[in-house]
Amino acid sequence: MNTAGTRSGRVLLHITLSLLLLAFLTPLLWALSGSFKPRGDIFGYPPDLFPDPFTLDNYRTLLAEQPFVRWFLMSTVVAVVATVVSVFVCALAGYGFAKFRFAGRTLLFNVMFSSLSIPFAVILVPLFVMLVKTGLGSPWFALIVPWVAPAFGIFMMQQYIVQSIPDSVLEAARIDGASEFGIFRRIVLPLLRPSLGALAVWQFLQSYNSFLWPLVLVTDSSQYTLPLGLQTLFVSENRQYDLVLAGAVLAVLPAVALFVVLRKQLLEGLSTGAVKG
Amino acid sequence: MTTALTGKGVGRPARTTRETGGTAPTARPKRTWAPYLFISPFYVLYVLFMLVPVGVSLWLSLTEWVGLGTPRWVGLRNYRLLATDISFHRALGNTAVFVLVAICVIVPLALLIAQALHTRGLRARDLWRTAYFVPIVVSPILVALVFGLFFDRQFGLLNSVLRALFGSGGVDWLGDPGLAKVSIALVMMWRWTGYLTIFFLAGLQAVPRELYEAAALDGAGRLRTFSTVTLPSLKPVTAFVVVTSFIGAAQIFEEPYLLTGGGPAESTLSVSMFIYRAAFQRQQFGYAAAAAVVLFALVFGLSQLFNRVLGIGRAAA
Repeated sequence: MNTAGTRSGRVLLHITLSLLLLAFLTPLLWALSGSFKPRGDIFGYPPDLFPDPFTLDNYRTLLAEQPFVRWFLMSTVVAVVATVVSVFVCALAGYGFAKFRFAGRTLLFNVMFSSLSIPFAVILVPLFVMLVKTGLGSPWFALIVPWVAPAFGIFMMQQYIVQSIPDSVLEAARIDGASEFGIFRRIVLPLLRPSLGALAVWQFLQSYNSFLWPLVLVTDSSQYTLPLGLQTLFVSENRQYDLVLAGAVLAVLPAVALFVVLRKQLLEGLSTGAVKG
Repeated sequence: MTTALTGKGVGRPARTTRETGGTAPTARPKRTWAPYLFISPFYVLYVLFMLVPVGVSLWLSLTEWVGLGTPRWVGLRNYRLLATDISFHRALGNTAVFVLVAICVIVPLALLIAQALHTRGLRARDLWRTAYFVPIVVSPILVALVFGLFFDRQFGLLNSVLRALFGSGGVDWLGDPGLAKVSIALVMMWRWTGYLTIFFLAGLQAVPRELYEAAALDGAGRLRTFSTVTLPSLKPVTAFVVVTSFIGAAQIFEEPYLLTGGGPAESTLSVSMFIYRAAFQRQQFGYAAAAAVVLFALVFGLSQLFNRVLGIGRAAA
């Protein structure tokens, strides 16, 4: 472990980190404070951190005059479904790779792993053509599809299962006559809970914040997701910064809440795979 | 996989198992379909929504298609056009710059921050970790909006600060081709540094303490310890982080799309934006597919090369 040595070294370290942190958080704090300012004050100079006068009008107008709630529901429902499906798929496959030796395992694993390096922009056009032209382009299906089989999640699950679920537990269950799927459902899934939480948060954020795919796919404004809806306020002729700021703050709340609750698992879960490589 | 499932030669069913040279052949000689059932949902989805689209992309790239009617076969014409398309060259160049920023600036910065956060005697480590990570949960639209205002020529926070400190502001951050790239790079830094820090921090925590003690006994200084103990121990993490950043930066879209629209003068146009623009704004689906195939070849090829050289993804082998 690295030591900071002297007391002054430690003070310097704390100061450096604080300054850096300030740089990281300033944009967010500024957005938060701006969302409570009347429109004219958002660009006030010098910019003040504490809104004066303080107003909730931006939020009120946003909720009253824009279909914010609908955008929010659209994004949330899509993200929740995508998350549940993908976490299940990942746990299944992660378990399959972690605890079985079978013909073609190495090849199949490498195929899965290399799908990490297929950029989304590459499948953007064909996915659009396939789904929209075949009539499967209903947002309820098509918005979910790109997030249901992430290789990253399988890798994460596989690493976690190898490290934390001993073979002996599974053997014991087999001797007791449990079916393979029964073992997965009754023993593996419960043991996986912490890392499932991490993966779930990650997947939720991926879907909830996604922009490019909904931008391409959703043309009907009644089916806009949050980022698309906010974008319409942002690019409309009189840029409604006040409303966008309020909307963005509201939009980020569930993500931040989820993150705060499951922060530990998420941070650890994300790095499980990377450390051992 | 299918041959294993149908298993024609009843007499010698074990052959396929041997061929793979798995590491633990003794575990369970009894053959079972269970593992295939566990991994099959992924492969069904993978084939339908990854492999098939990549194939469709390849085929579309050889056609001319406006999105309606039947695509017209044009052979390699799209690729020949790409080879002389200045916009595409710019997109490739800009994307390369963003990739270099990610690998040469953001990754080392993340390592430095991780090293600082790992220092003994640091208070509230969890709080720092969390705070640096927060940008990753923020949606791109907020990022774009906030930074759009942040960089604004007249009212922007950045220019206000510059004015207060040096008496001169009014820098056209998003309007000047060179500075626009810098601005995008700054946003990337803001968004990704904390995320990458998490990986390095986990890597640092996994370094055995004895290695540091041995280095201290040998009288190695701080720099020496860093280069002989820390860096080598971090190799797997670094490999992972470099490849992840490479793939992430190679498909950058939201930042330039929302902040600069790819401008000024296409100075921030990325390959992903080029593909989006060709397909969905200009109805050149075949042309977009060709650009996508080029991107695919570059990213896939280079990351396979990285994987080979740096040795990642061997965990299951």
